Amino acid sequence: MRAKISVERIVHEYFNPSTWQRVRALDGLSLDVPDGEFVCLVGPSGCGKSTLLYLIAGLTRPTGGRILVDGREVVRPGRDRGMVFQEFAILPWRTVEGNIGHGLEIAQIPRHTKAGTVRRYVALMGLSGFEHKYPHELSGGMRQRVAVARTLAADPEVVLMDEPFASLDAQTRNVMQEELVRIAQHERKTIVFVTHSVDEAIILGDRVVVLTHRPGRVKASMPIEIPRERRRWDVLGAEERFVRYRQDILRMIREEFDAQERGAEAVQA
Amino acid sequence: MSDSGRAGLRRAPPDPARALPRRRAAAGAAAAAGQVLAPFVLFTAVWALVVGVTRWPEDVLPSPFAVARAFGDVFAKGMLTVYAGETIRRIVLAAVTGVTIGIAAGFVMGLNDWIAALLNPPLRFFQSLSGIAWLPLFLIWFGFSDKTIVVAVWYTLVFPVAFNTMLGVRTVPRLYRYAVLTLGGTWRQIVFQVLLPGAIPYIVGGVRLGIAYGWRALIAAEIVVGSGGLGYLIFKAETFHLTARIIAGMTAIGVLWYLTDYFLLRPLEEATIERWGLVYR
Repeated sequence: MRAKISVERIVHEYFNPSTWQRVRALDGLSLDVPDGEFVCLVGPSGCGKSTLLYLIAGLTRPTGGRILVDGREVVRPGRDRGMVFQEFAILPWRTVEGNIGHGLEIAQIPRHTKAGTVRRYVALMGLSGFEHKYPHELSGGMRQRVAVARTLAADPEVVLMDEPFASLDAQTRNVMQEELVRIAQHERKTIVFVTHSVDEAIILGDRVVVLTHRPGRVKASMPIEIPRERRRWDVLGAEERFVRYRQDILRMIREEFDAQERGAEAVQA
Repeated sequence: MSDSGRAGLRRAPPDPARALPRRRAAAGAAAAAGQVLAPFVLFTAVWALVVGVTRWPEDVLPSPFAVARAFGDVFAKGMLTVYAGETIRRIVLAAVTGVTIGIAAGFVMGLNDWIAALLNPPLRFFQSLSGIAWLPLFLIWFGFSDKTIVVAVWYTLVFPVAFNTMLGVRTVPRLYRYAVLTLGGTWRQIVFQVLLPGAIPYIVGGVRLGIAYGWRALIAAEIVVGSGGLGYLIFKAETFHLTARIIAGMTAIGVLWYLTDYFLLRPLEEATIERWGLVYR
């Protein structure tokens, strides 16, 4: 079976104007994501996780290698690849409804169909009663829920998420995680989810991919074989496999972190 | 959900004053008007006092009462309406066209670094030359006509609008553009649904500034061109030493501007900025 997303030996370099140097963020990274898979990316900070998402989205062009989605090379952004950003990227001059419906509006979906979809996501994300509010009238958590709803409502086949729940409080985060898994399974979305939380990665992912320190490559790819119904915060702590996955992944991140430190020392010496 | 949000302009911060009964709101408006008028009343009183004490001749410094009489006179003769009408027609014409040109130019500069780098130095150079300094040249090119007046107003108005628009376009967070691109947005949609609304607070600020400059240039140009308008009214009055009429005309110019700013430009600025909570200034 052909992969939904196929990242082929991607090299990405950028120019850092403050140090006057070219920085290599990704170094020949390859990764295949089958259709309908929920894959979580973890790795030491600065390893190029977010860069990889931007590349798949088509917002940045790689220095070398290529990325295929459905067998076609990514050259520009498109509505088949939705993205939820780390920071709040909803438009302040649109209401909650206006933001959630924005993708549907761009796709020229008929008004009543659009209204139905928007209503469904408003309810799903617990935003009922706030439909006509502007982002500055919402809490941080609510704004991020609008951002998630906006991307999902546009119904992209691939959803790219860049630490979308990092700014949420613990309870909201747990609810959102469960909702996301439910939606992903129900609508067969292919999801690439970047997180710095190993727990979150194990809870959400069909597979967790660990990246090396910069310049990033794939260090390990680990299918998570805990049944979905057992992956709830209240019962997961008792799950033996969870503890083992967690240790393994943390150990690998630790190795990469140490290697990075040593590298930095070597450069300074 | 409250329905107050859709209609209300100023709803950004929760405003306890909204909840007050209408009677108290009216009292508040009266107090605000009093606050605006009080300094002018005080100024006029001092003026009347100075005239009363020094007893300068009326063609040097007329009293406020003489000015009020002159005001009534030009109004009764229908001159004020005609001349003010001329001035208003010109400012509206010049503002509508000039703002359009300024926003378009600012957008091009905001979107394209190369064009911005090319245009920035000459624009700054020309901005330092006031519109008045160009009047002799404009007169040679366009003659003693409305064209000269409108071009002089454009000249002062377009720069602040263009610069502010450019700044506004550049201030829109890149993430907004990225987000709409990943929703499938085209460049046209990015321009009209992201950059334009995102730049609005700056654009409105620039428009307010530009029209203020343009208004001054307009009066100066009317004096020089001499084909009607409030500028011409006060200049012509000098020929006959109608000092009270000069001051009455100046008052009309000031009041017209104040009303335009207070009832049109300021509400526009507040509506966009406060409504969207866009105070990233």
